[in-house]
Amino acid sequence: MTSAIQVEDVGKVYRTRNGESVRALDGVSFQVPQGRIHGLLGPNGAGKSTLVKILSTITPLTAGHASIMGFDVASRPLETRQQLAVVLQQTATENLLTVRDNLLIYAYLHGVKSHEAIPRLRTVAEEFELGERLGDTVQELSLGTKRRIQVAKIFMLEAPVIILDEATTGMDPLMKRRVMERLRAEARKGRTILLTTQVLSEAEELCESIMIINKGQLMASGTMRELRKLSTHLFRVNLTFADTNGDFVSRLEALMPAQLQVDGHTAEMVFHGEEASLLGKLADISRDTPILQFEVRGPTLEEIFITLMKESR
Amino acid sequence: MRPISSVFYRDYRQRMTNIGFVFWDLFVPLAYLILFGLGFERMLGGTVAVQGQAFGYTAFLLPGVLGMVTFSVAMNTSWGFFMDKDSGIFYELLTYPITRTQLLIGKISFNVLLAVIGSVLAIVLGIVAMEAPVRWDLLPLTAAIVMAATAGWFFLFSVFAIKLARMDAFNTVLSAAYILLMFLSSMFYPLADLPIWFRIPAYANPMTWQVDLLRFSLLGVGSATPLLLEGAAVLIFAAVCLTLAVRALNRAD
Repeated sequence: MTSAIQVEDVGKVYRTRNGESVRALDGVSFQVPQGRIHGLLGPNGAGKSTLVKILSTITPLTAGHASIMGFDVASRPLETRQQLAVVLQQTATENLLTVRDNLLIYAYLHGVKSHEAIPRLRTVAEEFELGERLGDTVQELSLGTKRRIQVAKIFMLEAPVIILDEATTGMDPLMKRRVMERLRAEARKGRTILLTTQVLSEAEELCESIMIINKGQLMASGTMRELRKLSTHLFRVNLTFADTNGDFVSRLEALMPAQLQVDGHTAEMVFHGEEASLLGKLADISRDTPILQFEVRGPTLEEIFITLMKESR
Repeated sequence: MRPISSVFYRDYRQRMTNIGFVFWDLFVPLAYLILFGLGFERMLGGTVAVQGQAFGYTAFLLPGVLGMVTFSVAMNTSWGFFMDKDSGIFYELLTYPITRTQLLIGKISFNVLLAVIGSVLAIVLGIVAMEAPVRWDLLPLTAAIVMAATAGWFFLFSVFAIKLARMDAFNTVLSAAYILLMFLSSMFYPLADLPIWFRIPAYANPMTWQVDLLRFSLLGVGSATPLLLEGAAVLIFAAVCLTLAVRALNRAD
């Protein structure tokens, strides 16, 4: 499968106003095949937005190579941008213009001709519930609606690569779900999507592959299954007890779980350690407080993320 | 041409939503011509002599007013970069499939048209109300000077608009430029009788080159060699400022 996004050993060093060098990215490499939704995760200041800025040719890289659909971002920025539809982290709308102008001008500036842009405008406006707002000036609209316009704009284009930097921030849950469904549909059509988000459940649900960066360096990357293998000693255990007689909560606490939540007869805990040892200890507890139901699952993306962040400190 | 025409259309739509800017661009220079021109003409009690030719002060001021039109239009257009920064669209614009040069030329294209309209209004007012002896045969040259100068000033101010993060800092730069570049030039008075410390920076000021050229194209005043040099200097000034503005956009992160 051809790589839509190829990043090789990319580094970025900023110079601050007082002349100090700050390494925002250090030797980051990854590739995203065409038609895939790839998540880019990391805490604040990890380097996600810097990477997005490099890939969308806003900022030059200082080491390595990156290309979009085979076009080198440094030497062929215009051709690179012709492959892209980008939603940046900050809300970006033409506030003095109407919603209609926002969508149409965005399309025109990306080379879409008016006879193609106008029918698309109707479809996109309907899909993003902007139909009745087309004549409204954007500055009169709420922040959530502005964000919706910003995301709607990318669907005015047929660029093969979509980059979304925290795109669903500020959107209501229903619209967020609609955007996610639309992104899945676009990926099925062969468009490649790079998504940065702080909402890990969103990434887990949407992304086919995920990359975690911290302090400008790649921490982990792969599919969810591959990432779970990185945390082989991390388990999520759900237990349902027959009754709550006895001091079962303190006995569960004695197992030193990473997380523990008890609600009546049920307990949910995240356990870090050997699976066999955990099972033995749970068998001991069940002798005094019988366990009706028992389920062991791999960690969620959030748990993997937190573990990796703790390990990197 | 399509990227440039798309940016042109964007700027046209933006400018039309803010009539205050358009008023400032078109009518304030006219007010200068009427109020300042008439006041000084009466005060001077007659004519201003330039290279052996005598003109009424309003006729003398007319090329300066055209310079003022180009300056105001360029300032307000470059201020648009701050509006783009405020609305967050500035960085998004840099991800669009247009070159930085196309973005800058597209932005100024509509506003060059506005400067030409402002100049036509000033010339008509000069002819009709103040009987300025305008040379009709050189009007295409006048239009060309207005266009080149508007673009040059816009590219220069854009460098500051792109590089400066704070609007108050940008406004300070514009205010200083307004005072220094307009008053330290041949816009309001002939430079020949002024002291040397005034004349040296004034002759190095692109506004002087532009106003001298406009004074030639409108009133027929000036000598060939200095005018050719000033014409070349205006074009070089615009090209250098365009290069600097493109560079600033490439480093706008």
